[in-house]
Amino acid sequence: MRSNRLFFLILIFSLLLIPACQKESPVNNDRVVTAIPSDIESVNPLFAFDLNEGNISELLYASLVEHGWNYQKGDMDTFPMLAKSWQWSKDSSSITLNLRDDVKWSDGQQFTANDVVFSFDLYSDPLIQSKLYGSFKNFYVDSSQHIDLKKTFTITNPYLLTINFKKNSTPSFYDIDFPIIPEHVYKNVSRKDFVTAEKEIKPVTNGAFYLAAWNKNQSIILKADTKSFLYKPGNVSEIIFKIVPDYNSRITQLKRGEIDLVQDVKADDFPILKKDENIDLVALKGREYDYVGWNNIDPDVYKKSKKIVPNKLFGNPLVRKALTYAINRNEILNEFLDNHGDLAWGPISPIFKSALDTTLSPLPYDVEKAKELLASAGWKDVDQSGVLKKNGQEFSFTLYIPAGNPRRDFVSTVIKNDLQAIGIKVNIEKLEPEVFFQKMYGRELNAWMAGWTIPIPIDLKPFWYSDFSEAPLNVECYKNKTVDALLNKIETTKSESQKNILYKEVQEQIYKDEPVTFLYWVDKIIAYNKKIQNLNVSPLGPFNRAWLWSVK
Amino acid sequence: MITFLFFLLRISPGDPSQKFLSPDLSPKLASLIKESFNLNAPLISQYETFLMNLCKGDFGISYTYRIPVIDVIKSFLPFTIIFSLISFVVQISFGFLLALISVRRINGIADKTFSKLSLMIYALPSFVVGVSLIFIFSELLNLFPSSGLSSFDSESFSFAQKLIDYSRHLILPVITLSLGGVAVYYKYLRDNLEEVYNKPFVENLRAHGFDEKYITRKHIIPNAVNPLISVAGVELGLLFGGALITEVIFALPGMGRLTVNAILSRDYPLVTGCTFVAGILVIITNLAADLIKAKLDKRVVKGILN
Repeated sequence: MRSNRLFFLILIFSLLLIPACQKESPVNNDRVVTAIPSDIESVNPLFAFDLNEGNISELLYASLVEHGWNYQKGDMDTFPMLAKSWQWSKDSSSITLNLRDDVKWSDGQQFTANDVVFSFDLYSDPLIQSKLYGSFKNFYVDSSQHIDLKKTFTITNPYLLTINFKKNSTPSFYDIDFPIIPEHVYKNVSRKDFVTAEKEIKPVTNGAFYLAAWNKNQSIILKADTKSFLYKPGNVSEIIFKIVPDYNSRITQLKRGEIDLVQDVKADDFPILKKDENIDLVALKGREYDYVGWNNIDPDVYKKSKKIVPNKLFGNPLVRKALTYAINRNEILNEFLDNHGDLAWGPISPIFKSALDTTLSPLPYDVEKAKELLASAGWKDVDQSGVLKKNGQEFSFTLYIPAGNPRRDFVSTVIKNDLQAIGIKVNIEKLEPEVFFQKMYGRELNAWMAGWTIPIPIDLKPFWYSDFSEAPLNVECYKNKTVDALLNKIETTKSESQKNILYKEVQEQIYKDEPVTFLYWVDKIIAYNKKIQNLNVSPLGPFNRAWLWSVK
Repeated sequence: MITFLFFLLRISPGDPSQKFLSPDLSPKLASLIKESFNLNAPLISQYETFLMNLCKGDFGISYTYRIPVIDVIKSFLPFTIIFSLISFVVQISFGFLLALISVRRINGIADKTFSKLSLMIYALPSFVVGVSLIFIFSELLNLFPSSGLSSFDSESFSFAQKLIDYSRHLILPVITLSLGGVAVYYKYLRDNLEEVYNKPFVENLRAHGFDEKYITRKHIIPNAVNPLISVAGVELGLLFGGALITEVIFALPGMGRLTVNAILSRDYPLVTGCTFVAGILVIITNLAADLIKAKLDKRVVKGILN
């Protein structure tokens, strides 16, 4: 009996150890593995809503032109891709594109101008619900926002295409910078069922990589298409997007060399990873800022009657300014972000050098100034209770934050303590993220903390325009006629330098009104294995032109 | 259950079309998508459509994956079932083995050690176990991979290599998921075995000179195991529902992660589908447990018939 038991135990341990003793399969040394926190939903650029979906689809599908970040001008440069050259008409109302004639789809079919026209057709079709639906403002569109193909496109030959833009519009390269999809693969798919039907179709691509495998919730494997015009011998042969939901697992695997690139590294981990001789770190000046939203209007009245009535607490710009003076934002930068960020004073990131108004500067932490402004707005500690009052009403409110975000937790505590010091009672309430955002987008909150990522190219209208139907992200309900006029003017201005002047004017107005308290711009920290060469981390992300990577 | 879930989801705060509100997207898209999800229709009409589709075995299209819910579940369920069954077998066999060793010498060194260890392990949250195992076996000893289900190149492996590859990836998750269960089954079985061990009919058999091995195999074990079958049925059903924490720590594609992500993104059809499948699996495992019980003990059948 005893020997039987011993045999059983030995058997179990052997079974456990056999796999462990097996050598790992030979690893492809020419491969880069990057970690992403969750699986993507589609590799089709039509439905690349998520950042990682965008990165992957742009590696699989080539665009007419590509963009790269120019650090000197703080703006984008345009390079040829599927279009090898182009000619704008004198009045910029049309562009003629010379397309490459050496591009083949991964199934061997030739790429032609028909694919381009078909792509514009699909992207703008309301039945498709693509990520670009509704954004073809400079094109001739019908009432359902679908591009009028006849008016818009003239195909001279399979490799010469002219795109005609709407009269008096202000087109740019951004209007034509998106991945092109193959007409021969999708032309017979019913538009009505396209969203579901396209999932059954194997991706046919024309970019630098092709999709080698997609193991759901495990990994997405892209292999270099050696026949692609973007491929050069010596370039990276494989990029793998490995799904690792747990942040600590991502960092552990980076240290072990199982993963080569991790984005959104926490500032806490920066010094530890910096000591690792195999890892390089980049703290990229960001496009993401955190802010405290003060609802400029009364949310209850707006909810009931859609009427605009100034908010009793935050309706006065003096009060909003005082609140900004009272919050010690430097403390947050030092303590939580370990100085991986910059104080913010407006909605334009410092990376946009040409558009940024450098004459403005962040309001300093100044408790006395805050008290003075509040007093001038009528908020005083009349009964020496330690709480400010006006017309018998206490200055107290609930600050809502989404649950599960340590940065918001920390910052909200700093805000609570700082405001308490000047006689304002703050109650912090955490809401489940979906609930929080529903209330925020519904303009139901009085005060909250959130963050925005600024799009490239700059587009301020969705955030600051008074007409909420055109500005779904103006959740603080900011209204300023001068800003509205400037934003409208930006839309019709062709000259980039003129646009930058207008952006500066918008910043001045917003600075004056302080509709929200801009807290800080957060640096995006990227950690990667030193074996990756030619990695160009720019505001466009680390995967911009990733086909140029090589592995040491 | 389905009706309750349908209304509960829709009256809960949150909006599935919310993720389409972004600075990069046109505001027109969110309203278009909301309309295509049929979320603008009155609740009763949504419910009617839902019931009609359900009768045809159609749970609808997942808002997230944009494919039929059944197809989404089909791609996640096989892993969960295999993973749960492996863990279940490990839990039962180790729990059983340790209980037998304990009961052979009640209050002996093995019994005392196992009893204390089982309490300690039971109290350990699975994320602590998982992270500790990764630290020891992946980071320090470099024996097993720290996450995933297979290697990137596994497609080119032979069958035997694939099997070894899966084993290497699954050992740590199986231990993480099973450790708590081993402790539970050990405690149950040990106490049951001890109780049966000292029952008069066992003493009687001993007095009649029956072999101890024979008594254990034919009388003690069947009597001790019987109450455990119902517990095992429920436990297996719960395992089939998904093991969220283990799946997240080891990045495994299971039903737990699928369900929670569906809830967080307000993917109503997928939440309903996942809950329905989990409910059905719990019913099946309980039914199987009852049938096994009836097979082992005819009195159960007699009791039902009477």
